Amino acid sequence: MAQKARPRRTRAATPGWKLPPLHEARTSTGLKVLVCPRGPLPLVTLRLVLQAGSAHDPAGKEGLAEFAARLLRRGTSRMGAREIDDAVEFVGASLSMGVTEELFVVNITTPAEHLGAMLEVMGQLLRDPVFPEDELTSARTRALAQLANDLDDPALLADRALTRAYWGAHPYGHDPSGRAATVATFSREDLRRFHRERLGPHLALLVVVGAVEPREVFHAAERAFEGWTGGPEMPSQVPVLPGPVLAGRVVVVDKPDQTQSQVRLAGRGFAFGAPDHFPAVVMNVALGGGFTSRLVNEIRVNRGLTYGIGSYFEAHRADGALHVTTFTKTETTAKLLKLTLGELKKMRQKGLAAAELKHAQTYLAGLYPLRTETNDSVAASLAEVKVYGLGTDWIERYQERVRAVTLAQANAAAARYLFAEPPVVVVVGNAEALREQLEPFGEVSVVAATEAE
Amino acid sequence: MSKAPASARSRAPAVDPVLASLLKVQEATLPNGLKVRLLPNRQTPLVSLYLFYRVGSRNERPGITGISHLFEHMMFNGAKRYGPKEFDRVLESRGGRSNAYTSTDLTVYHEDFASDALETVLDLESDRMRSLRISDETLASEREVVKEERRARVDNDIAGLMDEELGTLVYRAHPYRWPVIGWMADIEAISRPDCEQYFRTYYAPNNASLYLVGDFDPREALALVRKYFGAIKPGPEPLPVIDPEPSQKGERRARVHHPAQAPSLMVGYRGPPARDPETLVLDVIQYALTVGEGSRLTRELVYGRELAVHAMMDWTWRIDPGTAIFFLELKPDSRPEQVEQALLAELDRVIADGLSEQELQKAKNNLRAHLLRELSTNAGRAHALGQYEALFGSWRAGLTLPAAYAAITNARVKEVAARYFAPERRSVVTLVPELPSRPGLAA
Repeated sequence: MAQKARPRRTRAATPGWKLPPLHEARTSTGLKVLVCPRGPLPLVTLRLVLQAGSAHDPAGKEGLAEFAARLLRRGTSRMGAREIDDAVEFVGASLSMGVTEELFVVNITTPAEHLGAMLEVMGQLLRDPVFPEDELTSARTRALAQLANDLDDPALLADRALTRAYWGAHPYGHDPSGRAATVATFSREDLRRFHRERLGPHLALLVVVGAVEPREVFHAAERAFEGWTGGPEMPSQVPVLPGPVLAGRVVVVDKPDQTQSQVRLAGRGFAFGAPDHFPAVVMNVALGGGFTSRLVNEIRVNRGLTYGIGSYFEAHRADGALHVTTFTKTETTAKLLKLTLGELKKMRQKGLAAAELKHAQTYLAGLYPLRTETNDSVAASLAEVKVYGLGTDWIERYQERVRAVTLAQANAAAARYLFAEPPVVVVVGNAEALREQLEPFGEVSVVAATEAE
Repeated sequence: MSKAPASARSRAPAVDPVLASLLKVQEATLPNGLKVRLLPNRQTPLVSLYLFYRVGSRNERPGITGISHLFEHMMFNGAKRYGPKEFDRVLESRGGRSNAYTSTDLTVYHEDFASDALETVLDLESDRMRSLRISDETLASEREVVKEERRARVDNDIAGLMDEELGTLVYRAHPYRWPVIGWMADIEAISRPDCEQYFRTYYAPNNASLYLVGDFDPREALALVRKYFGAIKPGPEPLPVIDPEPSQKGERRARVHHPAQAPSLMVGYRGPPARDPETLVLDVIQYALTVGEGSRLTRELVYGRELAVHAMMDWTWRIDPGTAIFFLELKPDSRPEQVEQALLAELDRVIADGLSEQELQKAKNNLRAHLLRELSTNAGRAHALGQYEALFGSWRAGLTLPAAYAAITNARVKEVAARYFAPERRSVVTLVPELPSRPGLAA
């Protein structure tokens, strides 16, 4: 090192880093509104989250929440699809819908001066959608075509096959986009029932972040959502999964012309906010989170077997899973699997080095403020912690909790989560060339792409 | 290099006051030619660094295609002071992360980090600019990584395959002909001396610009930049890239046969270079045609006539004439000829009638809103400054972009559409679905 470095302020290391002040109110119809005023850009994010994610899709109607999200903007009793698009897009705002396992999300980002008008549009979409029959027919055709085209995307196919193999018939066991067989059955009555039963104010939360005055937001929200009724009063319970459905098995999705295999592994995880959430997340950074993790180092850097490998915890309200995601050329698929499983076993049995733990903690804590850099990301973080019943201290004390993880806690998380029981293995690729290679890893079953969606 | 774009000169569009308040940049150029741009922002305790090298696949030649990108990977594999694996290990252990990308025109390195790691990051970046070490062993391993990347992005990806085919149709002579990732056989053949020569030629401080945005004191930061980068020796000026592309004499077509559920359609038109003011007119057309659910092609081809599942127009600023690409994802029973006719009819409508006043204004509003959103993060600001400087000649070009867009008239839209969406500029790639080479093995 050249001259000695003059230490600068270390605000990043100061515990108790603060969000801007929050303002909270409830509209007369029961919608909770959370406002976080934040400059300097003249932009605002409106994020409405409802507890109507794909885990609540009725049996036989998998994909309904996401389909409803597509159609919500295709007409209300006062505005047609064109008018809605024009009202939002003309002013430079953008409207998007998203459905996860837990949540149904309506997001609008807008120049600040159009806040009132955009809330009005959002209110109409939620209170008064009509789901026109002709729009429904064309949306269904498009959704089915999209599902067919998705069969040509090996990475997507691998993710979906893994979801199925891990969760089975559990509410988390289907992709939010559903399956061709269920999407084909969607009717206007399904959508109207979904709207009536799932989209209401009581469990919903509207988060508004940006250049706004809280009183104006409360006032505009009151007007926009006046008279909104329906939806659940109490959260639905999703059960814990007794164990990975196809544990110890290898599912090969046959794509005869692939020259590369997409590989996915999964084992037990935890519900968001579980007692060992922080030890597990910190441990995962050392395993396969950062660019210097053991998996990246051994599989990519030392051996050039892949361009990408990583591990992460999928954590929902009721349960979760640990995932490893990677790919390699067909010929080296078994080699990559063997090395990957070996790395997990090593960390499970021997734990982390003290230096690895320290490294993971500094990395996670140092970069955490990135998640609070934009209106969108602040809104998403706030919505997430509120919906999961956690306080905003989840955000403000995140760095502190990361730094508090001990080596014993991280090692306990490794022992618990790094495939102590055999994982589910999914490989998308050329089954003819793969079958024999993969036999040492468990009973191999070969399925067609259409069975993996 | 520091001249404003011609349009900005002649019509002198006004500086956008909000952008000007966000981009209060302090500039310096070190004696070795390194350009330094500093933009303090104390909102979060973070800093983003972008280091732009003015080299990309346009600087390559047949035989070493893909070297710019392979080289980008090698920049993470050790230098004199920080050896193999050290770069990311040191960065992450100080609360930072890195990334990089290579385009046809640029190779760009990027770090986000906790603000107290600034000196460490400057040390790391300057170390590899001054004294990169390339070993046969790391090159061999990294070559395999890049081959896997190519298999994932091109060989096993339908849009990737079509895009590669389109490049070879649009360009006969210009280096934009080959993909940034390179041809597989070239990736195999690039040697250590090739890499070393590439480093000496293009990774000198006089071929680079450094952008820092975030939580720092600009005087202290500039002093640190001088300390770490000031002593690096400049290199010779890299050879200029010649654009030898002959004018196109008529439509070009190709078919790609590949197992797929549905056909797809990609139509490209060779466009202007970034510095040509007509580039901004194509930006407006791009927004009006495919950005948003209410955009014209989405409304007409996806919702109205239900011919496509998804329609997009990709128009990327490039140093030399780039390509405006329309990509339409179709349905299993779609007839690509019919969809192509519908797309061309829509483009003919733009040539004949332009856009409605509402569409034109909407596109301008969205371009400005997207610009503001891009500038909402430190990384977004640093990257935008680098882009404007590399492609328009000055980061200040960004300040006048909204006014330049605002000045675009419908007459101008028609004129530019007529010039670039002409049949003799067109290249068409159709994906023809095939059955797999053998029946499935599923029970």
